[in-house]
Amino acid sequence: MTSTGSSVSSGSATGPVTVQSNLSAPSAKAAMQALIDGFNKKGASQSTLNTVASETFRTQLPTYLTSSNPPDVMTWYAGSVARSYADKGLLLDVSDAWNGVSGYSDALKQLSTDNGKQIFIPTSYYFWGLFYRKSNFAKWGVQAPTTWAEFLQVCETIKSKGVTPIGLGADNSTPWVASGWFDYLNIRINGANYHRELLAGKHSFADPQVHKVFDQWKTALPHFDPKGTALSFQDATTNLLQGRTGMMLIGTFLLDTTPKEDVDDIDFFRFPVIDPAVPLAEEAPTDGFFASAHTARKPQTLEFLKYLTTVEAQEAYLKSSSGSSLPANSAAKDAGTALITKGKQMLQKAPDLTQFFNRDSSDALQPTADNALIKFIQHPEQIDSILTDWQTAAKKIWTS
Amino acid sequence: MTATLTAPAVAPPSSARSRRRRRTLSPILLAFVLVPLLVESFWVFWPALQGIYLSFTSWDGVSPAALVGLGNYAELFGDPTFGRAFLDTVLWLVLFGGFSALGGLAMAMLFLKERRGVGFYRAALFTPVVFSLVATALIWQAIYQPDGLVNTVLGALGLDSWQHSWLADANTALYAVIVPALWRQIGYIMVLYLAGLKGIDPTLYEAATVDGASKWQQFTKITLPQLSSVNSVVLSVIIIDSLRSFDVVWALTRGGPYHSSELLSTYMYSTAFQSLRLGYASALAVVIFVLAFGVILTYLVRAFRDADA
Repeated sequence: MTSTGSSVSSGSATGPVTVQSNLSAPSAKAAMQALIDGFNKKGASQSTLNTVASETFRTQLPTYLTSSNPPDVMTWYAGSVARSYADKGLLLDVSDAWNGVSGYSDALKQLSTDNGKQIFIPTSYYFWGLFYRKSNFAKWGVQAPTTWAEFLQVCETIKSKGVTPIGLGADNSTPWVASGWFDYLNIRINGANYHRELLAGKHSFADPQVHKVFDQWKTALPHFDPKGTALSFQDATTNLLQGRTGMMLIGTFLLDTTPKEDVDDIDFFRFPVIDPAVPLAEEAPTDGFFASAHTARKPQTLEFLKYLTTVEAQEAYLKSSSGSSLPANSAAKDAGTALITKGKQMLQKAPDLTQFFNRDSSDALQPTADNALIKFIQHPEQIDSILTDWQTAAKKIWTS
Repeated sequence: MTATLTAPAVAPPSSARSRRRRRTLSPILLAFVLVPLLVESFWVFWPALQGIYLSFTSWDGVSPAALVGLGNYAELFGDPTFGRAFLDTVLWLVLFGGFSALGGLAMAMLFLKERRGVGFYRAALFTPVVFSLVATALIWQAIYQPDGLVNTVLGALGLDSWQHSWLADANTALYAVIVPALWRQIGYIMVLYLAGLKGIDPTLYEAATVDGASKWQQFTKITLPQLSSVNSVVLSVIIIDSLRSFDVVWALTRGGPYHSSELLSTYMYSTAFQSLRLGYASALAVVIFVLAFGVILTYLVRAFRDADA
């Protein structure tokens, strides 16, 4: 099925390896350039960077991959969103680049594997948690909770100080952040396996298990910022930093938009335990690269991908970026802050990792979740019809 | 009017020339006709035909398209989101079209007479037309923010209970998006009507005043009938602009929250590029095309009939 590119690539084509990147933020773009420069300096093969706005990249990716003259290497995410392309035979078998790689965990290799072949090169990952300001928690006299009951108690205390306990930034521009809540609640209540199966269409969103997720969510919903569905995630971050909200479930990319002087005051706690019998899986979205099966420069492409796995490459990237993510190669140094170290340990102890709603399913399923979750946050009493509508919409995506 | 005066004078030589042209069909002339036709066929007709073909398939943009017959069209009838988008589009047509025509005419009447400073007001009203709609959307997004201008003003007036998350509330999102679209369109329609009003012969009004006609009578008996040709232009502009309204809606709400401000155009886009159901999206595109084409066709038929008369 996977053509492994051998049918097309004679490997004879020359010219630099073309890298198509969706990292268009200035710091990330500079970090990518540092990575490319590092590879070119080694002298064996050359590479060039082409950066595209992420929304354009997302809609154009199928075109890149099916093109007969594709970019050789592309940025993308690990999980179902990568495997679905591999199943269609569009991705290069990069097992050769994985051979002899050190510093990568088995879990990461498993995540990059489809039908026994590696099709993905992870380079960094990050974590999600409930972020808050240490100074504010001290001022309000609350401590980071570990169980759901403690969590609700913390919310009550924060509310009694006249502050909105839980911030949210799920307006029309970033509705997907609400999926973080769904993912974590489902993982904590039904477990990571059920979660992945549900997203793959093996269960129904109208199942009683999913109802349980929303029943749980309802207990915390009164503590949510009522303007949460009218604010972008950036505005919600500002509210958190300025103490108008108490905490926010978000990924470490929150640090990218946090002013330097506030970063040291930011801490996070793990999403609270709901059912002690369910193993504590965590969300660890993994970013990286894959290559087109139609590449005309297979050896050079594999050489570039191998370079990406090295300590040298990952440190070069992290040094130029904002340092809010963890390198996939465990031998590479991360930013080393207390927060990043704490997150890294949380993930290392986790028995299972999930990616994120769209990464564990598909970008096509994400809008169905956005519609359902935003409607639930605004009209929790309509949950029965919301879930049957969600299932109807999701079914169209799964079967198309 | 000038056309009817000058036409007879030019007619004989032009018909003579055309007779000569028929004998020696110059290759340059042929090229002028055929090259644009070829370009048009390649860039417009061929993709349009392909779109119609795709509407009979199920396609994710990657795998080969599979023929499903009329399946996509059958699905349209049972799709509540399509129904919602269709009704929203009709609502958009009525509100956006109605208010921009009335507002544009009112503004044109207001700014018709040359007075001191009237040029400034005309320019001010026309400025939004020059802005890109995405820039317009950014301005209005800030205005509609929970702590934005609208809510601040309402708060200052003591109307706190009216404060709203305008774009995030399913009951207000569509109307909140129509306002910026109108803000832009009124200036455009105003210019069309201004041109029409300037073309009315002032002696008609003088005669009416001598006959003792009131202002209202002058408006209904002279202004409106004289504007009939402009009206048909305005009507077609409005209908076509309504059906292709997309950018301002997408930039402000993306058809959300939960499809409450969905138009046919935004639903087509999200079906194609978010859900990756390109076959179904093509069926939606065909529906939009049929609606737009129907309108244009009736307009053209009417225009030709008027020209013949």
